[in-house]
Order: sequence, then C-alpha cells, then structure tokens
Amino acid sequence: MTVYVLPIIISAAGALLSVVPVLYFEETVSVAASSLSLLASIWILFMPGFNGTFLFIDGLSKLMLVMISAVYLTAVVFSITYLKYIENPLFRKKIYFLLLNLFAFTMLLSVSVNNLGWIWVGIEATTVTSALLVAVENDETALEASWRYIIVVSIGLVISLLSVVLIYGASKNLLLSSLFLSHNPDNLRLLTLGVLMGIIGYGTKAGIFPMHTWLPDVHGKAPAPISAVFSAVLLPVALYAVERLMQIAPFLIIKNFTLILGILTVVTASILIGVQKRYKRMFAYSSMENMGMVLIGLSLGGYGFAGAVVLMISHAFAKSGVFFLSGNLLSRYKTTLTSGINDVVKQMPVTGYGLLFGSMSVTGLPPFGSFFGELMVIYALIKNYGIIIAGVVAVFLILAFISLNYHVGRMLFSESGNPALKKMEQGRTAIIMPVINIILSFGVVFFIPQIISILQR
Amino acid sequence: MLVALSIFQLSYVLLLSPLIFGILAKLEERIESKQGPRIFQPYHDIFKLLRKESVIPSVASPLFKSAPYVSFSFYMILTLVLPIITAFPLSFGPTVDFIGGGLTFGAAATIKKLSSLDSRSNYSHLGTSRASSVGALAEPIIVLIFIMLGVLSKTNNPYVINNVLQHSRSWYFSLVHWFVSASFFMILIVELGKLPIESHSTSELGMIDQAMEMEYSGIELAFFKWGGYIKKFLLMSVFLNVYTVPFWVPLSVNIPGILAYSLIHFIKLIVLVVILALIEETISKLRLFKIFDYISISFAFAFLAILAFYITRGGF
Amino acid sequence: MQGIFSLTGFFLIVLLFFMQWEVYVKNIIITFSVSSFILSGFLLYLGIVNEEHILLALSALTAAVRGFFIPYIMLYSLRKDTWRARESEPLMGTATSILISVLIVIFAYILYRSTLYGFIKVPEGSLPIALMLQGSFLMISRRNTFIQMVGYMVMENAIILFSGYIFPGLPFVIEAGVILDLIGIVMIFALLMRIRENTISSGTPDSYENIEELKG
Repeated sequence: MTVYVLPIIISAAGALLSVVPVLYFEETVSVAASSLSLLASIWILFMPGFNGTFLFIDGLSKLMLVMISAVYLTAVVFSITYLKYIENPLFRKKIYFLLLNLFAFTMLLSVSVNNLGWIWVGIEATTVTSALLVAVENDETALEASWRYIIVVSIGLVISLLSVVLIYGASKNLLLSSLFLSHNPDNLRLLTLGVLMGIIGYGTKAGIFPMHTWLPDVHGKAPAPISAVFSAVLLPVALYAVERLMQIAPFLIIKNFTLILGILTVVTASILIGVQKRYKRMFAYSSMENMGMVLIGLSLGGYGFAGAVVLMISHAFAKSGVFFLSGNLLSRYKTTLTSGINDVVKQMPVTGYGLLFGSMSVTGLPPFGSFFGELMVIYALIKNYGIIIAGVVAVFLILAFISLNYHVGRMLFSESGNPALKKMEQGRTAIIMPVINIILSFGVVFFIPQIISILQR
Repeated sequence: MLVALSIFQLSYVLLLSPLIFGILAKLEERIESKQGPRIFQPYHDIFKLLRKESVIPSVASPLFKSAPYVSFSFYMILTLVLPIITAFPLSFGPTVDFIGGGLTFGAAATIKKLSSLDSRSNYSHLGTSRASSVGALAEPIIVLIFIMLGVLSKTNNPYVINNVLQHSRSWYFSLVHWFVSASFFMILIVELGKLPIESHSTSELGMIDQAMEMEYSGIELAFFKWGGYIKKFLLMSVFLNVYTVPFWVPLSVNIPGILAYSLIHFIKLIVLVVILALIEETISKLRLFKIFDYISISFAFAFLAILAFYITRGGF
Repeated sequence: MQGIFSLTGFFLIVLLFFMQWEVYVKNIIITFSVSSFILSGFLLYLGIVNEEHILLALSALTAAVRGFFIPYIMLYSLRKDTWRARESEPLMGTATSILISVLIVIFAYILYRSTLYGFIKVPEGSLPIALMLQGSFLMISRRNTFIQMVGYMVMENAIILFSGYIFPGLPFVIEAGVILDLIGIVMIFALLMRIRENTISSGTPDSYENIEELKG
C-alpha cells in the first residue's frame, strides 16, 4: 500500500514545499519531487498489481504513472529555463511551481484511485489546478483561453458527474474493482446510459470531437511546458477514465459509439491541421488526432488496446518534446505564426532537427513507437470492422502526416536570406530535454513486448 | 327566487363597483402621504358626467354614439352569468360557459376599439393599437388558463370549478392550481391597467386603455367609465371566487347566507385592492416593449401548469 | 415527499425564469443563493424523513458553500468589477429566452419520459433534467462571465437535487469532493476576473470577437 501512494504523496509534498521562501528552493524541490515520483513509479512498475479500498493499480495504471511522472520531470526541468522568456508573468515563480506540482498530483491521483467518484474529483481538480497555468502569459488572449477552458471543460465534467450518479444508481456501488466483476442485470440499460454520458463528458477533457473547441485555444496560448503537459499526459488521463468506463460496461453499443467518436475526431483534426496558421495550434490538432486514434484503439480492445497504450506513451514523449521545441521557437522568433518562421535548421540546428524528428514521430513515421501503435490499432480495426473503415482512417492519418510535415518542413528549410546566427540556439537544458523526450519516443519501440505483458498481467 | 337574486347581484355589482375603485385611489394617495379624494369620488364623477353636454366628432359614424351603451349592456349580461355572490347558477347562468364569458368580454372590448377608431383621433388610435397588440398576446394565455381549469374540473363552467376547488383540498393545494392562479393574476394586472403595465397620468406615454376614450364626453363617457369599473370588478371577483379564494361562497339558496357572503365578498375585494395598491406603489412602469416580456412570463406560468399536471398527476 | 420534491423542483425552475428575466448580475447571484438555500432545505427535509445523517451533512454543506460562501465571493469580486454589473447585450430578447426555457422544460419532460423513466420509475425525475438544461441555456444565452458561472453552478445544483432524491446514499466523500472542486473553480474564476480588470485597461473588455490568435 505504502509504495503505491508514493508518487501521489511525493508530488503533493513537492507542491507544499515549493512555497517555502528561500531563493531557488522551489526549483530544487520540484526537480527532486518529480525525479522521486518517477523513481517510485518505476518501482511500482515491477511490483504486482494492487486492489484496495482506496487504490486500484493494474498494468494500465502503472504505465500511466510512469508516463505522467516522466513528462512531469521533463516539464519541471524545462520550465526552469523557459520561465525567463515570459515577460510580465501572471504570478511569481513559486506559485507557478506550486500549481505545476499540484497539477501533477491531481493527475497521479486520478489514475490510481479505486472509485469512479474520486476519478471524477481528480479530473475536475486538474481543471482547477491547470486553469491559472494556462494564463501565465498574462494578456487578454491568454485569459480568454483560460476562461474558455474552464467553462467548456466544466460543462463536460458536469455531464460526467451525472454519469457517476447514474452508474451509482444502476449498481449502488462506485468501486472500480467490484464494478468490473458483476452488474445488476435489471439495471443494465441505466448503466449503459451512464457510461455513454461519461464517455462524452470525459471526452470533452480529452479533446474528443463534439466538445474539443477549448483544446487548440489552450495549447496555442499556454506556455510551452504547460502545453506539453496538457497534450502529453492530461488528455491521456481523461482517456484513462474513458477506458475504465468501457471496462465496466464492455457492451457492443458502447464500443461502436466510442469508435464513431474516435473516427470523427481523427477526421476533424486531420482536416483542421492543414489550415492552421499558427504552429502551436497545429500541434494541438495533431494531439487531437492522436487521441482519436487512441480512442479507436481503446474501443476495439485486444490488439487495439495494446496499440492504443503504445501510441499514448510514444505520443506523450514525442509531443512533449515538440511543444518544448515550439517554446524555443517562440522565445527566439517572437511569433506564433507559421509564416513568420524561416530557416530554423540553419539558425537553431538542434531545435530544427529535433522538431523534424518530433513531428515525424507524432505523425507516426516507421522507426518511432507511434507507428507501431497506429499499426496495431489499424490491424485490429481491419480485423473487427473490415478494410473500408480502416482505409478511411488510414487516409486521414496520411492527410494529417502530409499537412503537418509540410508545414514543419517549410518552417525548417525555407530560406530566409539572413546569414546564419549561431547564438539563436537555446541554452543546454532547453535543448537537451526535448531531445531526450524524442529519443524516448523512439525507444518505446524496444519495450512493446514488455508493455503488452504488463497490460496483460 | 333566482330572478330576485339575479336582480340583487346586478344591483350589487352596479352600485359597488365605483366604490372599490374609489377606495383603491384613496389608498394609493394615502400611501404617497397625500390626502387623496374621497372614496365616493367615482360616483361624483359619473353623476357629473351624466349631466354634461356630449360632443361628438363630426366625422364619426352612428357607432360612435351607441358603443358605450352596447358595451355597458354586455357587462350587465356578464354580471348575470358569473359567480359573484353565489356558487350556484342564477337564472341566466346556464346561457354561457367560461369560453362564452371570455367571448363576451372580447366583444365588449372590440366594440370599444371600433368606436375609438371611429373617432379618428390620433391619441385614440395610439391607445387602440397598443391595446390590440397587448391583447393579441394576452388572450391566448387566457384561453390556456381556461383549458387548465377545464382539466381541473372536467368542465368549462365557472360554478363547477368553484365547487371543485371548495371541496377538493388536493386540487386546491396542487401546483397546477397555483401556477394557473399566478398566471391569471399577472393577466389580471394587465386587464386592470395597473402599474407595471400602464400608468394613469396625463402623459400619453403610458396610456393604453385611457387613450381609447379620449374623444368621449358627457353621458357616453359616463357609461364607458362605469362599464370599465364593472369589467374590472367582475374580473377581480372571478379571480377571487374561481381561482384563489373560493371559500364561503354559498352553495345553495339561503338568503341570510347570501347576504352575509355579499359582505364577505366586499371584504375579500378590499384585501385584493390593498394588495394591488401596494404593488402599484412599489413597482415602476415597464417600457412598452417590455410588456411582452411580462406577458411571456405569464405564459410560462400557464404552461408550467400544464407540465405540473403531467408531471405530478401522472399525465400521459 | 413526492409533493415536496415537485414543489422544490418547480420553485427552482421559476427562480431560473427570474434569472432569465433579470439583467442585473447582483440580483442573479442573490437568486442563485436563494435557490441553493431551497435545495439545502429540501435535503434537510429528505434527511429527516429518511433518517440519513449524510443528507443532513450535505444539506449543511450546501447551505454554507453554495448558499453563502460562493455568492459572497462572487458579489465581492463583482463590487470591484463595475462594468460587469449588468448584462449589456444579451444574445436574445427576454421574451425569447423565457419561451425557450419553457420549451426546454417540455423537452426535458419528453426526453426523460422516453429514456430514463423506463429504468427509474420516478415521475418527477424530469425536473432536475430540465433544471440542468436550463442552466446550460443560461450559459449560452448570456455573455456576462458571472452569469455563465451561475449557469454552471445551477447545473451542479440540479445534479445534487437529482442524486439526492432519486439515488440517495451517494458516498459523502464524493459530494464533499464535488463541493471542494466547486470552491476551487469559483476562486479561480474570481481571480481571473480580478486580473482581467487590473491588466486590461483598454476600452471594451467584452469584445472577444477580435482575438485573432484564437481563430481556426
């Protein structure tokens, strides 16, 4: 029991300690807390599963814990250098690190509790802790983006609160471990209705199609480390709740409903990537497309589920790296417009090539983990629903691949006419962190058998 | 016997209706810390007008002259068919039901509007157009209210509705009944021309009903005013006897009971008048286009009554 | 019991009609506070009748947080935010929005009858659904951020009413967690409003249409 709560407790302690008024104390504490919680999560990975009154840890939870704490660590380290480039921040650095640690704490809590109600509370708490982080840049646009985020996501979560109430009404119980085992056969329709509402509600938080409107605004306007955390782990945490709901009620109607939502998300996002004028919004739509693929995989089960988890992990590392690098671009070029950025490869070589490989990884090019994840999902899709639907999804994936890489390639290689300025490149931490993450997203490939065995255990 | 009671009811309404509005005017003035007119002032006004010369516009048709008498007689007919001091039908009672009563009210109002159009005065036309646009929205709500009362009592007869509400506690305390009452109270304020809707001053900005009789004088004006008092008296009595306080109304022929009730009825009316005076003195006038928002609230209440019927009484 | 529930539900719906009618934010917040107290009273009654202590605690918490604390915070930040004191340009007229609210109540009834009624068998269950939809309509039909916040909390109140009456016994920790989150959101909201006022001095604060960066 004590081991399993370690990541939660460590991040909470990090949050509390980071308000201590000592110079640079908050940075030290945050780095220590995030490294320790990563170590604890890796330790948990090798422990057997756990099923208690408060915690429920199985293979999926373990992988989520590792993913969250790894991105948490890199985001903390990257924030230390990146915060310097924000003129006129909304609040002091200590508050920023307090909120970042709390944000990680709520996410770690959401993926390890054994109660649907607490999962709801945890995910709603991520909204509370992250809303102010979105507005760090402190201009009208950032505040407006933050407000849209609060309102849209809260409405979605009200729907999932109703779903919690309905599921409770159907089975008089909210413990995940007992909900997995048995259902009251009289109330199956009520349970199904509750689960469907929950999928829509948590889907809002994950950027799933009908209520995704907050996602590009927040990713486009939040500072780079926060965008990275949002895209890499917050969206998967919401999908974790969706997956739990689907495990509770593995009925055909729910699978079909989720599959349709996933396909619609992929289609919408792929079309919208091509018309974006701002690179961070473009990457945000790419996250949405990846979450659509993950949702399709979750709805299929079996190979699809394993593929979805591989894709989720690989995407988490790659996309956090890409968002860090986009932060480097923003701090040097001072523009969010794609057309304002030229010739990155010459001016900032590491950032440029990192971005090249990162964007290949998030769109699923062969050597990277996301390729294998998407392949497994597509394979399961062909097996379950035939080649036509799989073909449609594949066409839109290719469309997303082409449009994203076209824009990124134009930013990287177009001639600006300026002589190369070496001093444009960022300092050491600001380029090491994203590069590590992108390498990790490649490294996931070697661990696919282990991931599958952890999930099956 | 019933004929005698009918005559008593007719004279009760004809004689007492100006007094109620005298009391209302006095109360309002007293609340504003003014001396105010005597409560018998409406009688003085009517008598004075009866003795005055009447002037008729040269362009007006014969309708203009006959309209006040026609509408006054419509109101007299209504007096004979509504439950004012008895809860059993008098000799003319069976002639019309609630819808018929509503149509008679409508006919009287239409004649008034036609005559004011006939006067060719701009102010009268202004009042007519305002009254018509308010009425066009208020009357469907009145129909809705009648329908809900029909649901309540399975009939359109005001006497039966009164009997049902007097006897059945579950209906009297039901949400359906109180939503209908709230809706009717809001419509009552529109029909009485009280404050959130209409202000009675010399400025034409707030005039609706008042503007329509602008060209009348002398005996015709007296009949219009008196008819207006009777109309408002009837509406208030219907509101009290059918909707909100259906108690104590005599259910059988019983002369001392009816005499006692006619006193009680007067007291009920005075309580309602006090409430109306308080509303009048606390609320300011709505702008003209805001009246439609006000009517939409009343409509919402009437509709909620239907929903309450379906939701609490099983419906479907 | 059934009668009291219908009475509470209809009363809350009427209060929402009043919110649709009202343009002054202060009155809307006070109306919300009144509706929370009514909800709390209903929960108290329910707790006494069913002898459930959890409901008594929930009633007290509802009164303290939703009835008193949150309206207090909102009124406090409204006082510093004078140009938001009234809804200046509502999206639709009062009469239209009231009629739409009535239609929503009917829609909720039909929706409830055709879906949930089959499993729950409580005839009045459509009232909380109607309240929830009306809360979301209040958010859609107004531009003022305070009113949008009130609309959100009306939706949560509706769920509390729904779960309290139809599924009593929802674990208390969850209800407490819900309320804690609500406090958090309102605090963040008040903070954001304050910052907006302090940092954005330029002319028209509600002209969101011109934010170029949030397009596409």
